[in-house]
Amino acid sequence: MIGSILRLCAEKSAGLLAAALLLLVLAAPAPPVLAQAERGSQLDAITPVEEFSRQLDEFKKNIPELNKKIEDSAGSVDRWTDVERARKEIEELRAIVGAALGAVSDNGMVSQLGDKALSHARDKLKALEQETRFKPEEKQFLIDQWRKLKDETERATEELGTARRQFVELLRTLQTNEDFIDELVQIRQAQKALEVIRRLTKDIRDASDQLKKLIGGIKPPGA
Amino acid sequence: MRGLGSLAAACAVASALAACDLPGDVGYVEIKTVPVSPLSQPSLYLDTVKLDPLKKGVAVLRQRVGTRRLATDGSSGQLAQICDIVVQKNRITTVTVSVAERPPRCQCRSRTGTAQASSPVCVG
Repeated sequence: MIGSILRLCAEKSAGLLAAALLLLVLAAPAPPVLAQAERGSQLDAITPVEEFSRQLDEFKKNIPELNKKIEDSAGSVDRWTDVERARKEIEELRAIVGAALGAVSDNGMVSQLGDKALSHARDKLKALEQETRFKPEEKQFLIDQWRKLKDETERATEELGTARRQFVELLRTLQTNEDFIDELVQIRQAQKALEVIRRLTKDIRDASDQLKKLIGGIKPPGA
Repeated sequence: MRGLGSLAAACAVASALAACDLPGDVGYVEIKTVPVSPLSQPSLYLDTVKLDPLKKGVAVLRQRVGTRRLATDGSSGQLAQICDIVVQKNRITTVTVSVAERPPRCQCRSRTGTAQASSPVCVG
């Protein structure tokens, strides 16, 4: 599940990068009407989208082992005979999932960059629709490119939303399991305490029996 | 360099609870609103920081470990607390806010037993 999310993120990221690169290539042989400053501004304009793509890529690279670790550890949750070990593994998994959730949380870096990139693409599209500097076919071409970019960015941010929901559910499952394991630890501790009490009771009974024998063995003279 | 600039700018965006670099242990808060799209969504504050409008009625926020106060606009212009949210390391605490009510009311997924009903304490 997570793997497919990451793959989708990667695909979207690659798509965004491709779109951004395409725009760069197309911007290069632009007609002379585009002054140097304008070209500079075009390059700046795609930066939020590039940055978002880069962050998505980084996010994907930072957690390549997540899916495998979750799959590997899923069995350990079932091996509850060693509750301490299971608890430790769940703690480690929570840390991994937590870090992943941190990146895609609403106030996380990737999400915020996604919002920024999306807002920039929308603003750019709005501005281009009012633009009067270009020939109609040039203007239409630029609008089409930005519309494509906006759609791709929207899809990528939606994928992030899906990843966020998945990580939230995963984290919740892990903490519920951990709570359950904690309860098992408490049961085991209570069982150990019960064993101690039983042993103590047996020891007292043995001592009592010995004492009885001792008392029974005492015979007053002439008895 | 420009990438770093954009990153810094992104961190500096006056978005609610921007948390690009939270020192120390962190956990997560999930805030849901019901109904998802009310006619007028009341403003929500985590401690004193105003939250961005919730997308599709849900926000997942990275927060420092500790207790956060969820509040809304009060009638006297001051913030009115609606519940406390306990943030634990690498755990998620979920609270659903019923925004149709006045004032909005918190419903904890899990809460402490000692909390008062008027101001519950939600835990992860």
